[in-house]
Amino acid sequence: MLKKVLIANRGEIALRINRACHELGVATVAIFSDADRMSLHVRHADEAFCVGPGPVVRSYLNVPNIISAALISGCDGIHPGYGFLAENARFAEIAADHGLTFIGPKPSVINAMGDKATAKRLMREAGVPTTPGSDIVASVDEARAVCEQIGYPVLLKATAGGGGKGMRAVTAPEELATAFATAQAEAEASFKDGRMYVEKLIVNPRHVEVQVLADEHGGVVHLGERDCSVQKPSHQKLIEEAPAPELDEAIRARLHDVAVTATRAVGYTNAGTLEFLVSGDDVYFMEMNTRIQVEHPVTELIYGVDLVKEQIRIASGEHLGFMQEDLHPHGHAIEVRVNAEDPNNNFAPAAGTLSTVVFAGGPGIRVDTHVYGGAIVPPFYDSMLAKIIAVGRTRESAIVRMERALSETRIEGVKTTVDFCRELMEDPEFRAGGIGVGWLPAFLARRDAA
Amino acid sequence: MTEDVIASRARALAGALAEAGFARLRVREGDTEIELRRAPRNGAHPALAPASVAGDSAAVPGAERAEPAERRADLISSEVVGVVRLLRPPVSEGSDLDGDRELAYVETLGIRNPVRSRGGGHVTAVFVTEGQPVEYGQPLFAIER
Repeated sequence: MLKKVLIANRGEIALRINRACHELGVATVAIFSDADRMSLHVRHADEAFCVGPGPVVRSYLNVPNIISAALISGCDGIHPGYGFLAENARFAEIAADHGLTFIGPKPSVINAMGDKATAKRLMREAGVPTTPGSDIVASVDEARAVCEQIGYPVLLKATAGGGGKGMRAVTAPEELATAFATAQAEAEASFKDGRMYVEKLIVNPRHVEVQVLADEHGGVVHLGERDCSVQKPSHQKLIEEAPAPELDEAIRARLHDVAVTATRAVGYTNAGTLEFLVSGDDVYFMEMNTRIQVEHPVTELIYGVDLVKEQIRIASGEHLGFMQEDLHPHGHAIEVRVNAEDPNNNFAPAAGTLSTVVFAGGPGIRVDTHVYGGAIVPPFYDSMLAKIIAVGRTRESAIVRMERALSETRIEGVKTTVDFCRELMEDPEFRAGGIGVGWLPAFLARRDAA
Repeated sequence: MTEDVIASRARALAGALAEAGFARLRVREGDTEIELRRAPRNGAHPALAPASVAGDSAAVPGAERAEPAERRADLISSEVVGVVRLLRPPVSEGSDLDGDRELAYVETLGIRNPVRSRGGGHVTAVFVTEGQPVEYGQPLFAIER
C-alpha cells in the first residue's frame, strides 16, 4: 500500500481523496494556491504546501512545484483528482520519472484516450460501436466529402477538444466552410492543436456512461451506468443519476459488456469511465475519461464501493477485492451540482464570500463539499461549491429526498443552482425519466419565453 | 487581485511582520504592492491594517501613504517549492549588503532558482536554514533598505 499521497487538486475532490487516504491509513499532503490558503482541504491534510498564486497556470498546473512538494514531503504517490492535471499524460510520466506512483492509468493509455480520433479508432478496432464519421480531415474539402457520405447534420470536432471548445454543429452544406474555419481556429487557440474530425450528429441522444475498475493483474469489472443527460447548454453536467432510468435492459447489458471489452482491449488500469450516446436502440461510444469523475458518488451509493479507495489500492498493486458477480446495485441515487452560478443569467459564475452555508443531512443524503460559512469563493476556479447526493430504494424516493435536501440547503453570499435544481426535480418530464441532452436547453428556452 | 485575495495575503504577511518585529513591511508582487504597518502603541489604529495597495483601483479605505523618509523592510520570499541552499559566505542577521547580490537558491527538481537581495540594505532577518524545504511565498530574508 502507498504510504503517503500528494493530492494534486483542490475543492471537494481534494477532500474526498483525503478521506479515502485517511480511511486506508495513508498520510496526505495537500497543495494550495494563495487564494485557497483558508480552504478545508488544506486543514484536513496531514501536511500542505503553497505551490503558487491564485491563477491555475501558476499553482494547480505548476508541475515543477507540485512534484517538488511531493518529493520534499516524502510522498510515494500522487492522486490527480479530476480536471487540472488528471488527464495530462506528461504529468503522469514526470511523476513516474521521479519515483512517484501516479494514481491513474498508464501515460500511454491517457494519451491514446485523450486524443479523441485515436480513441475512436481503437474502440472501433475492439468492436465497440462508434458514431459514423472520419479520422482526421486535413481540409474543408475532405470534411465535405465525409459529410456527403454520412449525411447531415454533422458535428465538427477537435481531436484535442473538450468542454464544447473546437466543436460546431453543421446542419447544411453551405454552413460547412465557416464552421470548419471557426472550430479549427478555436481548437488552435484553446489546445494548440487544430486537427479536426467529423462525426454524425445524433439528435437529442441520452448521455449514458459506464464506470469501470481495472487492476494491474487483468481484473476488470464494471459498476453499472450513470445517466448524465441533464446538461447545461454549455454541455456541462448538472444532474446525474444511477442507474439510468427507463433504459431498455438489453441496451443496459450491452453497454456494460462493451465497456468491459473496451477496457480490456486498450489495456486500461485503475478507474475509468466510458461515455456513450444512446439513441433509440443504438449506442455509440463517445469518449473514455481516464480519471475519477465528478459524479462518481451516485455509483458508490448504489454499489457500496468506495471508488477512490479502489483507485489507491489498484495503484498500490493490489488485486480487485471483488468479481463482477459480487457487484449488485441497490436502489437509486441522484446527484445535484451546487454551483456558484446564476441560472437566470446563462449560468454566469459568481465569486465572493459565503455569508451563510447550511447543508442538508438526514437519511439518504450525502454532501461532498469544501465550503463553509465565511469561506471565500475565489474567482480563479471551477464554480462548483458542493455535490448533494440522495439515495433511496426507488428513483421516486431518491427524488423526494433530493427535493427535501435542497429545501434544507441555505447558501447566501453568491447566487447558486440550488433553487433551480429544486424546480427541475418537480418537472413532470424529468420525473418520468429517460430525457435526452436537449431537455435542459429546451426547458430553459421555454422558461425564457414565458 | 480582488480585495478578498489582498486581504488574505495581508493576513499572511501580518504574521511575518510580527515575527520579524518590523514596524512596516512592503511586498510587491507583479503590479500589486501591499504595505503593512504596526499600530502606534496607543492603539489608535487597528493592530495591523493594510496601509496602501498600489496598482489596484480598489485601495483600502482610509489608507495612508508611507512617509518616504522612513526606512522600510523588504521581505524576500520563495517563488518556488524546493530546498533552500544558502550561498557562501552565508548572510546572517545584521549583515550589510552594498548592492544586489545572490543570497541563496531554491532547488526545485535539480534546477537552481536564484534568490537575490534586489539591491543593498541591512539584513534584519534570515528565516531559513541550509537545506530547509520551503513553499511558494515563504519568507526567506528581510532586508531593511
